[in-house]
Amino acid sequence: MLQNVFDDLRLYGHFLELQVRSQFQYKLNLLADIGAYLLMTGLEFVALLLYFIPFPSLLDWKVGEVLLLCSLTYTSFGLADVFGEGIDHFSLIIRQGSFDRFLLRPNSVFLQVLGSEFTLRKFGRVTQGILVFCLALVLLPRSLWTLDKVLVLFLGVLSTATIFLALFLIGAVICFWTVETTELINMVTHGGREMMQYPLTIYNDLLQRFFTFIVPIAFGAYFPTCYILGRPLPFGFPAFVAFLSPICAVVFAFLSSLLWRIGIRHYQGTGS
Amino acid sequence: MFPFYFHVALASFRRQLAYRWANIAGLITNTFFGSLFSFVIIALHHARQSVDGYTVTDTLRYTWLAQALLMVVMPFAWYDLMNTIRTGEVVSDLSKPCDFCWYWFSRELGRSLYYTLFRGVPIYIAGTLLFNLGFPAGSLQLLIFVLAFLLAIVLGIAYRYLYNIIAFWIVEARAMVWLAVTVALFFAGSYIPLYFLPGWLYGLAQVLPFNGLMNFPIQVLLGKVSPAQMGWAFVSLLCWSVGMILVMRFLTARATRRVIVQGG
Repeated sequence: MLQNVFDDLRLYGHFLELQVRSQFQYKLNLLADIGAYLLMTGLEFVALLLYFIPFPSLLDWKVGEVLLLCSLTYTSFGLADVFGEGIDHFSLIIRQGSFDRFLLRPNSVFLQVLGSEFTLRKFGRVTQGILVFCLALVLLPRSLWTLDKVLVLFLGVLSTATIFLALFLIGAVICFWTVETTELINMVTHGGREMMQYPLTIYNDLLQRFFTFIVPIAFGAYFPTCYILGRPLPFGFPAFVAFLSPICAVVFAFLSSLLWRIGIRHYQGTGS
Repeated sequence: MFPFYFHVALASFRRQLAYRWANIAGLITNTFFGSLFSFVIIALHHARQSVDGYTVTDTLRYTWLAQALLMVVMPFAWYDLMNTIRTGEVVSDLSKPCDFCWYWFSRELGRSLYYTLFRGVPIYIAGTLLFNLGFPAGSLQLLIFVLAFLLAIVLGIAYRYLYNIIAFWIVEARAMVWLAVTVALFFAGSYIPLYFLPGWLYGLAQVLPFNGLMNFPIQVLLGKVSPAQMGWAFVSLLCWSVGMILVMRFLTARATRRVIVQGG
């Protein structure tokens, strides 16, 4: 069992190495790609910062506090985006019929999908998340940080990244039936990322509940941020709940992996 | 020759009609994002009622109008022309007995009309229902808005065409396209209403052609533009359109003189 996991990881590492090497063949292209991507995500963030010139605060949240939330969301979405790009492009694999090939190979199908695409430019969002975090550190008081808060931050990033990955997977599962990725799942993934840049309480109640109890992104990103800032958690949750984000992420990931298995059993090929 | 271009536009309009479900999904997505931005704007205004004479309602209207215009003037992943260059299909378009620029222009006019009717209008209605926007303008303002909007469509098509024909020189130009679109969206006012920008940046935004894509038509409809400013903006945007179309024709002529077709 353990040997299997080890073998799988080595294979995955090999997949990634191949992808990276092929990107280094086109150095100029890679540089342009990274530059464009950084500027693209950077400009979105600059727009967010600019709002705080005419306005002093966002529903009592100061810039530094919003930036902390942003950095958590950016970093975790970025991580999910880096490692889950293969899942995100799953519709292409289905449409081209390459999925049949994956099924024939004596390796984990999930792993092959995961390793089928890996682009370096996607690290841009992670880099951006870290830079925004540094900015938040400067703006927030130093005394804020204690050991438990550092811990809750790490748990939050890992959990939110896991939840985003699981969401990508659900989007891929839908492809088994629709072939195309529907724009609606993008609304939940990219919409969730966009939404979680700002405190949950600004949104309407239905949206708040949806992104807490059904798609628990708020659980992963917003709850830990509230804990760090000493703000009350939404829906009257006691403060320690912020530490439970990993449990939430694991449950959500487990449910999406169940769906994935059902999807594979359902798959009949696109038959072109 | 004119009936030919009219039919090209009509065909492209009809082609869009086939993607009914994609359009509905897009409508839901645009409405969702419009709602997110609206909640942010409402929350920001908790601390300050109005900025430079713009109230919450103004900014909400601005946001929804920008969402409504988005797919008309600046469709995000528009690689249509670029893809024909990459695959070599462009040869068949070039050998058609018509002007290559005007052929694409008509195609995109048809598409723009489709998105105006089936994306733009429904989005603004959705926003009105969700956030009680009302309709900002009187009939004169509406008339001027229509003129500004037509200019926005022309500018949008010319810009799109320009960043697509890069593909004649650079085969893998996707990074350039993202950059071109992001910068345009920022300076059009899609990320943040331009009047929230610091003075010098606002000044810069107003002389760029992207002002005409969203900010200018929207501000006209909101009734925030004085007649003098309006005249100046129309002159400058007309110059931009003519200039961009000239560059478009010049580059096309250069590219087609030495075209080496990709693919087989």
